[in-house]
Order: sequence, then C-alpha cells, then structure tokens
Amino acid sequence: MATSTFPPPPPFYRLYKDYIQDPQSAPEPPPPIQGTYVLFGANYTTDDALPSLEEQGVRQLYPKGPNVDFKKELKSLNRELQLHILELADILVERPSQYARKVEDISLIFKNMHHLLNSLRPHQARATLIHMLELQIQRRKQAVEDIKRRREEAQRILKEALAKLDGQ
Amino acid sequence: MDIISQLQEQVSTIAALAVNTYGSLQRDAPPVRLSPNYPEPPPPTTVPAEDANFSDQPKLMSQALVDAAKKFDALVTALPLSEGGEEAQLRRIAELQAENDIVGQELQKQLEAAENELKQVQELFSKAADSSLNLKKPD
Repeated sequence: MATSTFPPPPPFYRLYKDYIQDPQSAPEPPPPIQGTYVLFGANYTTDDALPSLEEQGVRQLYPKGPNVDFKKELKSLNRELQLHILELADILVERPSQYARKVEDISLIFKNMHHLLNSLRPHQARATLIHMLELQIQRRKQAVEDIKRRREEAQRILKEALAKLDGQ
Repeated sequence: MDIISQLQEQVSTIAALAVNTYGSLQRDAPPVRLSPNYPEPPPPTTVPAEDANFSDQPKLMSQALVDAAKKFDALVTALPLSEGGEEAQLRRIAELQAENDIVGQELQKQLEAAENELKQVQELFSKAADSSLNLKKPD
C-alpha cells in the first residue's frame, strides 16, 4: 500500500466523464463491505459483537449460562469491590509490598462489572425498538381515527349543503 | 443520560474515588512509630495546618466511597430489566411488527378513500363554480 502525506484523489473520477449524458456508461458503486476490512492499517469488522471475557484474557467472576441475573450479579460484584478496597487498606498497613495482587483483583472486578454493563446494551436496544414500535402503532391508530372523523364530518357538511340547496 | 450510561459513569466514579483516597492518604499520612527502640524523629518543619485537616480526610473519603457504592446499588435496583430474556423480546417485536403492518394497511385504505372523496368534492366544486359563473348574466 503506497502511502504519502498528501495522496492524490483516487483516479476513478475519469470514468464518470459522460455520466450526465449517459448514466450507464460509468461503473456502479462497489457493494457494501462484509466481514473484515483494513482501514488506515488497522483491522475492523462489520460484525459488531461484544467479545466475551475469555476472549480478552480476563477471568469471569459471575456464573456463566444463558440467562444471567444482571441485578444480582452487579450488586454482588459491588459488595466484593468494597470488600477488596477495604482489604487493600489493611494490606497497605500490614504487608505493603504485597499490594500488587490486591490491585490486580480490584481491576479484575472492575473489568467484570464493565463487561456486564456492556452486555446489557443489546437488551436496551431491543427494548428501545419495542417502545418505538408501540409508539408508532399508537400514532397510526390515532391517524386512522382522525381520518374517519374528518370524512364523516365532510359527509355531514355535504348533506347539509345539499339539503339547503334543495330547500332553496 | 440513560441508566446504563449512568451505571458506567458510577463505576468510573468509584474507581476514581478509590484511587484518590489511597493516593492522598499515602501522600499526606504522618509517619508512624515502628518500634520503641528508635528515637523520636525531629519535629517536622511542615505546616501544622495540614495535620489539623488530615485526621478528617480518611473519614470523609471513605464516606464518599460508601455513598458512591450505595448510589450504584440504587441505580442497579432501578434497572428496568424485563424477565424472559432475549426470546421474549424478539417475540414481542414480531407481534408488534405484525400489528404495525395491519394498522398501516388500514391507515393506507382510509387515506386512499379520503383522497378519492377529496378529488370528487374538488371536481364537483369546480363544476358548480363553472355553472354558477355561466349562469351569472353580465350586467
């Protein structure tokens, strides 16, 4: 991959010289990328899934399984965190040279907490979608009612006008 | 801010409080007497005002930590987690989509009927206007 500070624009623009006269003479835009791609030397993927803790090399403290009770696990992680912070104070007083292990434990708890919170995001997305669909259904029903009402009113006014004209 | 972001920020706050607590305690703590054999150190030339405030610091900072942890617990309790998990949510989404389609079709029908009626009324009105213009005798 050739790199330079101010690279020229890609040469594809020449292919679109007669686009105004004949839109078919120029190539179609490329299809959307699927899978992994390289951008500025870094690898990215279009499939955005939260990597599990094992994949990041972090020990998972809360029990595995299909349905994790988020509230219970978050609260118990919080309690453990407070306990570890207190124990760190104790270690700093009694055995100050052994702080590293305790600090590592505390950071492990933080990583687990953040991972739990991140795995709540898909649930939040689905709940937002449900809420939006409910709102849309409500708005559509309201619009249907409004249109029915207006049509009936228009019919009524036309009948009145007809009766008046006939009576004239 | 939505509740998950609030929870994430609260976790960061707890971490920052822990770091600041231990950092400032380690930096500002007065020296401790290790053994009765060592002589008393010479009196410090530092400002004594520091010592007056210092004895409150552990209490204040640990209070802040505990308060942050309590706020985290309160936020966790406030999480609106519906039971049933992913499958129940996906089922509900499918139901809502079907209902949305039905209501949408009904709306489309009503809209078309209303537009037809509007067109009819407009035609009739323009015919009536034309006839009344034709009937009016020029003075």
